[in-house]
Amino acid sequence: MSGALLEVEDLHVWFDLPNGKQLHAVQGVSFSIDAGTRLGMVGESGCGKTTTILALMGLLPQIATLSGRVLLDGTNILEQGEETIAPHRWKDIAMVFQGAMNAFDPVRRIGDQIAEPMELHGYASGREAQHRVRELLETVGISPTRAGSYPHELSGGMRQRAAIAMSLACSPRVLLADEPTTALDVMVQAQVLELLTYLSDELGLALVFVTHDLPIVAQTCTRAAVMYAGRIVEQGPTEALYHETRHPYTRMLWAATPDLEARDDVLSIPGVPPRLDAELRGCPFAPRCYLAASRCADDRPELHSVGAEHESACHFASSVEVVA
Amino acid sequence: MSPVQTGAPPAEEAPATRSLRWRSVAAPILQNKSALVALAMLAFFVFLAVFGDLLIAGDPKAKVGDVFEPPSREFWLGTDGGGASMVDLLIAGARVSLLIGFCAAAISAVIGGTVGIVSGFFGGKTDTALMRLTDYFLVIPDVPLMIVIAALFGRSTWNIIVIIGIIYWTFTARLIRAQTKSVRERVYVQRARALGAGNTRLIVRHVLPQVTPLLVANTVLLIAYAIFAETFITFLGLGDPSAISWGRLIENAFTDDAIINEAWWAVIPPGLCVMFVVLACTIIGQTMEDALNPRLRTGHLSVRRFRVLRPKPEVES
Amino acid sequence: MRGSDYVVKRVLFAIGTVFVAITLNFVLFRSLSGDAVSALRCRGCSQDFKEYQRRTLGLDKSKWQQYKIYLTGLAHGDMGRSLRTEEPVRSVLWEPIKNTVPMVALGTFFSIVFGVATGVVAAWRRGTAADKAALWGGLGFYSMPPQWLGLVIVLFVAGWLGLPTSGVKDPTLGILSDPGFIEVFVDRLEHMILPALTLGLVIFGEYTLIVRSAMLETLGEDYILTSRAKGLSNWSTVWKHGFRNAMLPVITLVALSLGFIIGGAITVEYVFSYPGIGLLIVEAIDQRDYPVLQAAFLLLTFSVILFNLLADLLYFKMDPRVTE
Repeated sequence: MSGALLEVEDLHVWFDLPNGKQLHAVQGVSFSIDAGTRLGMVGESGCGKTTTILALMGLLPQIATLSGRVLLDGTNILEQGEETIAPHRWKDIAMVFQGAMNAFDPVRRIGDQIAEPMELHGYASGREAQHRVRELLETVGISPTRAGSYPHELSGGMRQRAAIAMSLACSPRVLLADEPTTALDVMVQAQVLELLTYLSDELGLALVFVTHDLPIVAQTCTRAAVMYAGRIVEQGPTEALYHETRHPYTRMLWAATPDLEARDDVLSIPGVPPRLDAELRGCPFAPRCYLAASRCADDRPELHSVGAEHESACHFASSVEVVA
Repeated sequence: MSPVQTGAPPAEEAPATRSLRWRSVAAPILQNKSALVALAMLAFFVFLAVFGDLLIAGDPKAKVGDVFEPPSREFWLGTDGGGASMVDLLIAGARVSLLIGFCAAAISAVIGGTVGIVSGFFGGKTDTALMRLTDYFLVIPDVPLMIVIAALFGRSTWNIIVIIGIIYWTFTARLIRAQTKSVRERVYVQRARALGAGNTRLIVRHVLPQVTPLLVANTVLLIAYAIFAETFITFLGLGDPSAISWGRLIENAFTDDAIINEAWWAVIPPGLCVMFVVLACTIIGQTMEDALNPRLRTGHLSVRRFRVLRPKPEVES
Repeated sequence: MRGSDYVVKRVLFAIGTVFVAITLNFVLFRSLSGDAVSALRCRGCSQDFKEYQRRTLGLDKSKWQQYKIYLTGLAHGDMGRSLRTEEPVRSVLWEPIKNTVPMVALGTFFSIVFGVATGVVAAWRRGTAADKAALWGGLGFYSMPPQWLGLVIVLFVAGWLGLPTSGVKDPTLGILSDPGFIEVFVDRLEHMILPALTLGLVIFGEYTLIVRSAMLETLGEDYILTSRAKGLSNWSTVWKHGFRNAMLPVITLVALSLGFIIGGAITVEYVFSYPGIGLLIVEAIDQRDYPVLQAAFLLLTFSVILFNLLADLLYFKMDPRVTE
């Protein structure tokens, strides 16, 4: 898979906790993404998906320790940490944040905040920047006159669109979107998803889409990676993940989502994800798994191929569909 | 549980939260090193205030040495402008200062707590009127007001306590009102109301237990303010002429020209006593309030950068 | 709510406060046992003189009429005459005001500079030694009675700095020759520094705490993370997006603590024999000169109300959300 636009290899993140322990939040995540494609990262909160993409942006706090490689066009931008990431921030890799409401500074105008990175990175300045701000706003479907508005004057959906416009300020090639639709109502959610898909197709953006909502990934993304307890437990083409699910966790995620022809009720996944402040033995999902066998308690399953570009970290990958 | 049978609000929730909240106040103090030190400091002065009599032989104001005698083995902190032992005076001062501090704070807490609870619980016009009044008094500068009232009515310790007490209630009222409003909206209170609990019952059973920890935290802060205020009033010659407080000792040092006599031992200690008690109360009150109103999130800025391990993951320790 | 509504509302509130203060003032001074005149202490205050005073002050009329007379007088700027010197109170106040205003302004300036600097550093370096030093230093000074700190400064610092410890000007200045503007200015400033420094030191701790917590709160906001992601350095993030947002609560609290500053100014002026409003109040208390005391109290109250109003308007200017 060499030659991909962005490649993440064996990424680990540890956090030093105040009690002296270390929390191993991301445990060897690898994936890659090409221009114009969309990768969905799915999992419950606390599974390490947000930490993973914050690591790509170099935005982790000082209590974090990282290892692994993040290759952008084949160059490891994690090599020197902050120093090597900083030049790419927002220019090559930009981000749309989780809190649609709070991604903007409340006391500054939207337009100025969108223009800020352009001027900072020498991308455009003055009138040119203002012009580009208006263009970007139009691209995301906001009236260009809104550039003079303050964040609180926009609705949640518009603010999220403006945040997307801001992420495009310096024409990045990779866009990381962290739960970009969480706080929005269903209609607006659909519009924002449509916009992101459109941008990825039109501008050739590589989109990494982080969400806890598997169906959203199915709608928008070409590939999906399911994360559990800091690791990817299944990844592959979205189609394959749906039709040939190879990890019990993925299967339970599917089951936990309401669909239109919903039979009686939605299943929720019993139990909680394990704490990551101590090394785990065996499969981290075993305590909540319907397939768990004695082997799972000691032997940690690694990702292995289960189909075309399809990997799973389950000892009983082939039984997932059979036993339900 | 049938509401008809018992008629009582569901009791299991409120008391549970109640003890939980108390623990959440006590725990941060016991865990916080500076709060513990502050607590010890306050305890020391309270001890002096209560048992001071046993430590002083006779009248603390009695002339036992020369005027402004420097510290010696006999007088650890020297003597003041009247030849009285500074140590004895400071111990005697603890009683008056702390008495004023505690009593005035209690009065403020009662007034502020009542206004806050009534305002927050009943809402509507009562709320508007009371809060308008509170806001007016919040803006009117309290020290000048206190001085004016003391100039007109002062001169006895109890008067001063009342004067300080009736001035420092505004902030408490605002705080307690906000807390009361949020308690009122909670589910179990709504449920108790639906089950027919009267206002008095709701306030006593549900609002008070929830509001009290915050009120106590605030009262501890008020003690600091009150002790401070006493030094102001006394310094301007408006204190009880017969009472020895720390404020009075500072005033004496000033009016007896301790400065010209370079008698630092008459100037420094009373101020330090005030400082330690005020500091202790501030820290304790603040720690309690912070525990009850956790607001601080982790910052997104850091001095150091995150670290990158190379070449292979090997957990640093 | 529109912006103008907000302004009108705040102005009305200020007027309301003024009215409450005036009424309070009236009630307090008229509810004395006996009346203002009988408490008067001066040589030659004969029974006839006191009777005469009573009549000129309208103390023989009903309370309600007195209130009306009092309000009418105030509306014309008439605050009565000093019981002691027979001068109109207005002119008694004038000189002290000219001395107090620059001193308190300088003190407030000191406190804001110390407070903001220590608060920002403490928040930014949270948990470090710098944070602890700023917090403990601020709290320590904050816990000192201002008059006491004044005495300590006179005792230990003044001689060392070679600054005057009493009065507002050098009495020998101008005896031998006509001093130039700069000479007078420097002389005034020298006399002002110690009292102002005392005030600044006892107040700044409060600002340290407020600025620190406001900063910490702000630095935890999503838009700060956005700003970092956009590639702004730590420092420009603090400056461009952190500082202004964190200052919003500070504005209100600085205005509110002005009452405390002014209270402190009374005792500090007394310590430094600085002939301002504070010293005037001390003298008025001593001589039971109630009209002067009354007027000085009103003056202090009005100025605090005025500055609170200004703070509200400044807040309005700095936070676009206020009109919501």
